[in-house]
Amino acid sequence: MISAVYALIAIGFTMIFGVGGVLNLAHGALIMIGAFTYLAATSAAIPPFAGFLLAVVVTAAASYALYAGLVKYIEDNIVITFLATVVVALLLTELVIIQFGSAPSQLLPVISGTIYLEAVGTRIRYVQLLAFVVSWIAIGALWYYVTKTDEGRSILATSMSTRGAELTGVDLQKVKSRTWLIAGAFAGIAGVFIGTLQSTSPQMWLSPLALAFIIVVIGGIGSIKGSVIAAYLIGYLETASVEILGPSFQGVLSLVVLVAILLLKPNGLFGRELVHE
Amino acid sequence: MANEDNNTLESDRTGNDAVGRRTFLGAASAGALTTTLAGCMGGVGSGGGGDDVFKIGHLGPTELQMGRGAERSAELAVAELKDNGGVQGQDVELLSEDTGGSPSEAERVTQNLVGSDNVDLLVGTFVSEVTQGIIDYVAERDVPFIITGSADPATITENHGQDYEQYKNIVRTGPINSDLQAEGMAGYASHLNDLHGFENFSILADDAAWTGSFRDILPDLIEEDSDLSVVHEDRMALDTDNFNPFLDDAADADADVVMRFIAHGGAATFTSTWAQNEYPFALEGISVPGMSPEFWGATNGTCLYETTSQSGAGGVSELTDKTMPFVEAYEEEFTGDGQDPPSKPMYMGFNSYDGILFYAKAAEEAGTTDYNSDLDAIVDAMLNTEFTGAAGEISLYGEDSDYPNDLKESRNEDGIISNFPVTQWHEDGDGGVVECVYPEQDATAEHVVPEWI
Repeated sequence: MISAVYALIAIGFTMIFGVGGVLNLAHGALIMIGAFTYLAATSAAIPPFAGFLLAVVVTAAASYALYAGLVKYIEDNIVITFLATVVVALLLTELVIIQFGSAPSQLLPVISGTIYLEAVGTRIRYVQLLAFVVSWIAIGALWYYVTKTDEGRSILATSMSTRGAELTGVDLQKVKSRTWLIAGAFAGIAGVFIGTLQSTSPQMWLSPLALAFIIVVIGGIGSIKGSVIAAYLIGYLETASVEILGPSFQGVLSLVVLVAILLLKPNGLFGRELVHE
Repeated sequence: MANEDNNTLESDRTGNDAVGRRTFLGAASAGALTTTLAGCMGGVGSGGGGDDVFKIGHLGPTELQMGRGAERSAELAVAELKDNGGVQGQDVELLSEDTGGSPSEAERVTQNLVGSDNVDLLVGTFVSEVTQGIIDYVAERDVPFIITGSADPATITENHGQDYEQYKNIVRTGPINSDLQAEGMAGYASHLNDLHGFENFSILADDAAWTGSFRDILPDLIEEDSDLSVVHEDRMALDTDNFNPFLDDAADADADVVMRFIAHGGAATFTSTWAQNEYPFALEGISVPGMSPEFWGATNGTCLYETTSQSGAGGVSELTDKTMPFVEAYEEEFTGDGQDPPSKPMYMGFNSYDGILFYAKAAEEAGTTDYNSDLDAIVDAMLNTEFTGAAGEISLYGEDSDYPNDLKESRNEDGIISNFPVTQWHEDGDGGVVECVYPEQDATAEHVVPEWI
């Protein structure tokens, strides 16, 4: 179920890389912004659903601000961008600690309640179902956007070849801004659900970011389809590890697959499928 | 060519550097030697009571609520000592250091406290791995060290038990070690059986040193009561963030009670996973984050009905006549608008406060704080001191017992360990309130079963 949320994170991460060649290590921090915006909103007695929308909007805005205020000026230098986004992530972590403290907190679920699946002996919270549905709606909408609309196709075109896209009259700045907005909105959605299902703390961004990295490497950098498939692959592998090896070995099989992919297919499962340099 | 030039230049520079470095090293070692000598002389001087300040070094992870509560409680103890004329006529000073919960950082700050600041007493350490990381150094330096946070029995059995002479300057005044806590927990399990008829127990423990006793001896202790059985056991990695599989397994095993022993940040997630899914068992055991008075807010109230054992009983029950005055003093000083949590001392706060006052009393008995020449007198005095603290009675096991220098458990007339209170979150209007539910003589409310069971 949570695989869909991981796919959201990975898609945002990989889109930014595909379009701008930027490894945005502050992507995890955007997830944190989403979760803490929701936390602040719900503790100010704003209803959960409105808080959720607010979190998505704020995170998208933060993502855009990150691009327009910083990355835009340095994106030609990969190393500087890489380092600058790390610095932003650490800075945001400190700000969150100052504002909210370092102890983890739990978010109010957007919807509460649970169902017991007796046949498989597990319980699913409605909020898990909601996370699944919302993530898939978002992924579906994105898919429609980038394949069926001109605006969206310009994003896809840019990630295939910047020069080609420019030659066909694509405004690069606009495309990049749009990409950052979408990636930010996805991170906001993911942030609220991860903050609800796991924990909301100043360190919460690290493991989703690492997972996004693994997913993107397995799926192929720059590929949306690859991210979705790899996210599910990782999700199933984690579940399988829990079933076969026990809960403490959750991450083992996915790391094995990561190493195997790096050795056998360094471009990932769907790497560079659309690139025609 | 260009490269060769660069190389030559580089190596030239390196040569210059090397000379510079040698000179620097020489100067530095001379400096270090002087400092060491000065340190030795200083050590003798201060250990001999030459200066008229009694310095207490407090060690704890002060960025965590637990550590901050302990640091503040130590401040209260020092203020109290000052008001009463100091220790052995000396003024008292508190030096508090943040261990960050890491053995290497703890080693560094401890060496500073002992080597440079010449503290007369060390108090604290929350993480068992930290305690064990500094224990050899502290034993070497003979400075009295009162453990007030970590509960791993191996700290005592693997050190004092092997070479008492070497480690005699180290004592623990609280909490009772986890072997004894496990016995207390088994008594509590029987109590739950009497109260609600719970029979099947699951034990889920952090994969860390402090939970060793709960994993190894608690199952047998529970099953000593023939009505009870342990139907499920597992350990959880410290970075676990998905607790569904563990709780599913416990539910599949028909557990009536899950006893979880958890000290890391995932505790809030554990709690809300349990409550939001309405898993059909009670949540008992020890949750260190769950001891925070602010846990209700952090979990959005999902901690309702969960319990934890904690020495000091969260400051809600009058364990001794010192409990409430201490809690009130803490609240007056540190609770209110603009103050960081915790709003109550938490267990290590109780123990650090008690530990410092306990040592002051022992020092009065011994008539000295000079650990360099009178360590035996100080240790004897500590072993003979009986002290009523805010968390309970403090007296220590002697050299020939299983746990030398460790806090003795208190028992009631039925032989049940009684300085092992259990607290539960209850509803209070829109918010939550901590109630002491065990042992019965200290209880402020009766244990409640989650309404969905």
